[in-house]
Amino acid sequence: MTAAAFCLTYAALAALCLAMDRHHADVFGDDPPPRRRLALRVAGWALLGLSLWAAAAPRGWAYGSTQWTGMLALDGLLLIVLLPYAPRAAVGLGVLCLAAAPLLAAL
Amino acid sequence: MKPGNAQEGLRQAMSWLHTWTGLVLGWVLFAMFLTGTLAFFRPEITAWMQPEARPAMVEPARALDTAVDYLQRHGPDSPRWFVSLPGEREPAMRLAWQAARPQPGQRRFSIVYLDPASGREIAARETRGGDFLYRFHFELGIGYPWGRWLAGVAAMFMLVAIVSGVITHKKIFTDFFTFRPGKGQRSWLDGHNALSVLGLPFHFMITFSGLLLLMAMLLPAGILAAYDSERAFFDEAFPAFRMPEASGRSAPLAPLAPMLADARMHWQGGSVGRVTVSRPNDANALVSFTRDEGDRISYGRGSPVRVYDGATGRARSQSQDPGGATLVAGTVVGLHLGYFAHPLLRWLYFLVGLAGTAMVGSGLLLWVAKRRQKHAKAAQPPFSLRLVESLNVGSIAGLCVAVGAYFWANRLLPAGLAGRADWEVRAFFAAWALAFAHAGFAGRRGWGAQWAAAAVLLGGVPLLNAATSDRHLGHSLAQGDWVMAGFDLAALACGLLFAWLAVKALRARRQAAHAAQAAQAVQAAAQAARAARATQAGLPEGATEAGRP
Repeated sequence: MTAAAFCLTYAALAALCLAMDRHHADVFGDDPPPRRRLALRVAGWALLGLSLWAAAAPRGWAYGSTQWTGMLALDGLLLIVLLPYAPRAAVGLGVLCLAAAPLLAAL
Repeated sequence: MKPGNAQEGLRQAMSWLHTWTGLVLGWVLFAMFLTGTLAFFRPEITAWMQPEARPAMVEPARALDTAVDYLQRHGPDSPRWFVSLPGEREPAMRLAWQAARPQPGQRRFSIVYLDPASGREIAARETRGGDFLYRFHFELGIGYPWGRWLAGVAAMFMLVAIVSGVITHKKIFTDFFTFRPGKGQRSWLDGHNALSVLGLPFHFMITFSGLLLLMAMLLPAGILAAYDSERAFFDEAFPAFRMPEASGRSAPLAPLAPMLADARMHWQGGSVGRVTVSRPNDANALVSFTRDEGDRISYGRGSPVRVYDGATGRARSQSQDPGGATLVAGTVVGLHLGYFAHPLLRWLYFLVGLAGTAMVGSGLLLWVAKRRQKHAKAAQPPFSLRLVESLNVGSIAGLCVAVGAYFWANRLLPAGLAGRADWEVRAFFAAWALAFAHAGFAGRRGWGAQWAAAAVLLGGVPLLNAATSDRHLGHSLAQGDWVMAGFDLAALACGLLFAWLAVKALRARRQAAHAAQAAQAVQAAAQAARAARATQAGLPEGATEAGRP
């Protein structure tokens, strides 16, 4: 479940990042259409909430939210370092994480 | 004044505040961040520094019996015994007892470490291990209370720097995921912002809670308004330390194992961290069990205590549950100490702590980078800039060298050396002093050499371990000895990071040298051209040329 939370946090950050003009342009070459931007933003925040829930599942909210804050920092740094060198891979990893999260949660 | 201007004025003011609070105590904060981050692994570092000590885990009840046996033999008339029961992270048992009538010059407390399985003292090299780094984190190697005051002031400045930083770098949220590498000062600023913003919850928590840990020293008025003395407050807050009067009648100490079982039952199986026996073998003896501080976040300081009558073994009236304020303070402080963290969260603490260290370091570098640009045209940068650069080299790269030297001294000093633990600490400070001296002499050219030295020292740790103990990576990885393997691998990773920094620094120096050479060449060429023109001007053809319209 903790691994799933890690993946969800990364996917959430990747979605929120892609909802920003500059980063969308880095990956797709243009600004996102308004509806896609909204969808990415909603998905990002929803995934963040879901990741917090997943982080809290094994040991409760107090422990889980502390660990989640740490995950957020680490995943964020990973995304930031990946973005300038391989923007497509950074976003691709987000998709991969999203796909892997339910599997990891089921394990 | 228009509102826009007022806002700009605030940002300017905050920028000034951020720049100067960051500079004045940045060096202290860097050291506090780095050693504090290492201190999250305090027992593990100590374990690495005593590779010959391999205590086995035993049941807490058996360990407690062993401890009492030992203390009855060595300190039966001591006013107080302290026993730290073995735990997963610290399998050795720490016993301390107060001297009944300390002779002048004698220490008040005797301390030994026992192997709980054999009951014998652990025979290992004398070292302060991770405790030194932990203490340095808030005492900075300066005696009580000045080190703590300096740490408290630094933490206060850090809080100011955090708040003013958020206002100064107002674009942090629009630039949230932005990092533009290879662009000099721009990249440093991006990096500084990214490290700060992503770690912001951690940085804020660690700074605020750090201040809270020093609260009684920094702001004693709150306690003194309600209590006669700080002592009275602590007696109430930490009942395990309250001292009963001796009755003078001796009474044998009841077996401790049933009391331990009773305490654990009350805590739904929670574990006991520390056992304190006050007035052992007296009719008034008290035995208090303090719950393991790792059991819950809020137990970092002041976990629950159960007190028993030492002579009868009966439970005393117990202190009430803590109030809301105590619980909140306990939680904030507990978050700082991180005792509750399981391995994964502990590593997250460590990594985000390193990010905080890098945040402070990059801030210090930015201060120089901004000013260096301004003075780029000057033949020599002003003294103040060179001074800050030297201090940056010594306090950033130099501290990493000093930590490396500390670990090397631990393994290279002879095991039987008198005052061995102190020599290790001297090696740390000597290496650091040397680094400062080198930085003062070399200035910014010192980066490359010092990062290289840190890379060799830290990167060489696995080899050092292999050469001086039998618990090297080949052994520890095969045996699943994660404390040893984790230390070696983490040191190796740090060594590689430092090597990368060294290469970058040396390359930047070479480029700067090339640029200077090129500039010199251009200047020389221009001079030659001027000279040529001057000679040409003296010739008749030149005159006709000059006279052409």
